[in-house]
Amino acid sequence: MVLDLTMSMAILALLGALATIAGCLEDLESDVGSQSNPNSQVQLAPQMGFLHRIYNKAISGEPISNGMSAVTGGTVTAVLLNAKFYAVTAIAIGALVAALLYGIYATTSYAGRVASQSRFKQPLYMDIMRYTTPSIIAHNFIVNFCLVSIAYIQYAVLGYPFSIPFLALIWGISVGAIGSSVGDVHYGGEREFQNREFGCGLNTALSGRIVRKAESGLRNSIDNVWFCAKFGGPATGIGLGLTVFFSSWPTTIWGYTWKAMGAGVIILVVMIIMNRLLEISVKNAYGPYKEDKEEKEAGAVAH
Amino acid sequence: MVLLDPTTLIDIALIGLSGALICLAVHFIPVGGAPAAMAQATGIGTGTVELAAGSGLVGLITSSYMYAYEPTATMGLVMASGALGAAVMLASTMLAGGFIYAYGVGVPFASAQVKKDPITGQRQDNYVSKGTQGQGIPTICFVSGVVGSALGGAGGGLIYYVLMQYYSPLISTSAAAVAGVFTMGVFYVNSVIPSYGVGGTIEGVHDPKFRRVVPKDVFTSIVVSMLCGIVAILIAGGMT
Repeated sequence: MVLDLTMSMAILALLGALATIAGCLEDLESDVGSQSNPNSQVQLAPQMGFLHRIYNKAISGEPISNGMSAVTGGTVTAVLLNAKFYAVTAIAIGALVAALLYGIYATTSYAGRVASQSRFKQPLYMDIMRYTTPSIIAHNFIVNFCLVSIAYIQYAVLGYPFSIPFLALIWGISVGAIGSSVGDVHYGGEREFQNREFGCGLNTALSGRIVRKAESGLRNSIDNVWFCAKFGGPATGIGLGLTVFFSSWPTTIWGYTWKAMGAGVIILVVMIIMNRLLEISVKNAYGPYKEDKEEKEAGAVAH
Repeated sequence: MVLLDPTTLIDIALIGLSGALICLAVHFIPVGGAPAAMAQATGIGTGTVELAAGSGLVGLITSSYMYAYEPTATMGLVMASGALGAAVMLASTMLAGGFIYAYGVGVPFASAQVKKDPITGQRQDNYVSKGTQGQGIPTICFVSGVVGSALGGAGGGLIYYVLMQYYSPLISTSAAAVAGVFTMGVFYVNSVIPSYGVGGTIEGVHDPKFRRVVPKDVFTSIVVSMLCGIVAILIAGGMT
C-alpha cells in the first residue's frame, strides 16, 4: 500500500514505539525468569555452594525462545484474522495464547533445571514459582502483543511480502538477540555481582558467586527485575527501537534509491562516532586499571 | 538435467557466494559470548548464531521490501538494502550495549587482543581489568561489527534476490514466503559453521583468530551453501 510521507512517518514512529516497548519488556522478562548467558551464573551458583531463591528457566537462547513465542502469537492472530476477528482482538488473543504456552515452558524448565541440581541441595521453591511465573507470562504477553502488532502493520498496512507469522518470527529472533546483547549485561555484569566494587571488572574467579541477599531479605527474581527496569530494560528498548526506526527511515524519506542507502551510511557513521565519544568519556572518567610500566619508571626517576 | 543449465549453475554459484559472505560476516562481528555478558570479554554479550541471524534477518526484511516495491531494483540495490538493515541493527545493538558497559557496569572499553586500537591508536592493555579478556566494545570492534553485519545482510539480500528470480515465474504469490524461509535457513547454516572455527568468541578483524580460521570456514561455507543452492533449485521441480 502506498502512503503519503506524513502517514508513512506516523506509521514508522508507531513501529518504533512498539519496538521500544517490546525490547524493554523482553529484557525484563529475561531478567525476571533469568535466561540467556547470565543464567549460567545462576545455574553455577549451587555447584559452588551458593543456594539461592532465583528463578532459573532458560528455555533456550533468548532469540529462539522469543522467536517461538512471537511466531505462535502471529500464527494464532493470522488464523483469527482469517475468521474475521477485529485486528486488536486477534492480536491480543494470539499474544495471550503464546504467553501461556511460554509460561508452560518456563515452569517445566525451572522445575527440570532445579531437579537436575538435586545433588547440590538446591531446593525448588514453590512460592517462587507461584509468584514469578505469572510475571514471566505478563511480560511475555506484552512482548508478543507489540511484536505481532509490528508484524500486522508491516503486512496489512505497509504490504510487506512476508506473512504475519514469519515477520513475527524474525522480530522475535531480533528482539531476543538485542535483549541478550544489551540488557543481559546489566543483569549478568552488575546485578548478579553487586557485592564487589562498582567498575572493578569481573574476575572470572568470581564465577558462580552471585549475590543472594536483597535490599530486604533474600533476593529473588522480582528484586532483579526491579533493578534492571531502571537501565537494562530501557536500553534494550532503545536498541530495538533504533533498529526498527532507522532500518526503514531512509527508504521512507528518499524511496528505494541509492540516495537512501547513502543516508543509511551516514546514520552508521554517526553511530560509530557516538560510540567513540562514549569510549573516550568512559576512559577519561574511570582511567586505566594498571599504571603503564614506562610511566611508573619515569615517575620513580623524577622522584 | 535442469541443474546443468548455465543460468541455474550461476544461481547456485551466487548462493554459494552469499553463504561465503554470511560466513565472513560472522568473523567480523565482535562476539563475546557468555563471558561478555558478564563483562569478562570484549565484544557483544551473546553468541555468534544469535547475532549473525538476528542482524541478517532484519536485512532480509529490508531487502524483501525493496524487492517487492521497486520492480526495477538491481541486484546491487537489493543487496545494499539488506546490508543497511543488518548494519543498522548491529550498530544500534552495540551502541545500546555500550551504554550498559559504560554506565551500568562501569568498565572502560578495552580489547585484549591488541595493544593499541588500530583505528584510534589508543592504548588498550592497561584498561583491561584483572582476570578478564577485555570488556566493552572499542572502536575497532564497533567498525568491524558494522562492516561484518553489512556483509551478512548483503549476502542474505543476494540469496533472496536469486531465489525470487527463480521462484517468481513458478509460484508468483507464494514465492516470497519460500524464498524468505530458505534464506533464513541458509543464514542459520552459515552462522553455525563459523561458530566451530571461532570457538565461541572473536573480537573482529584485528583478532589473530580471524586470519587463522577465515579461509577454512569460508571454503566450508561455499561448499555447504552450494549444496543448499542445489536443494533450492531441486525443490522448484515440484512447483507449478
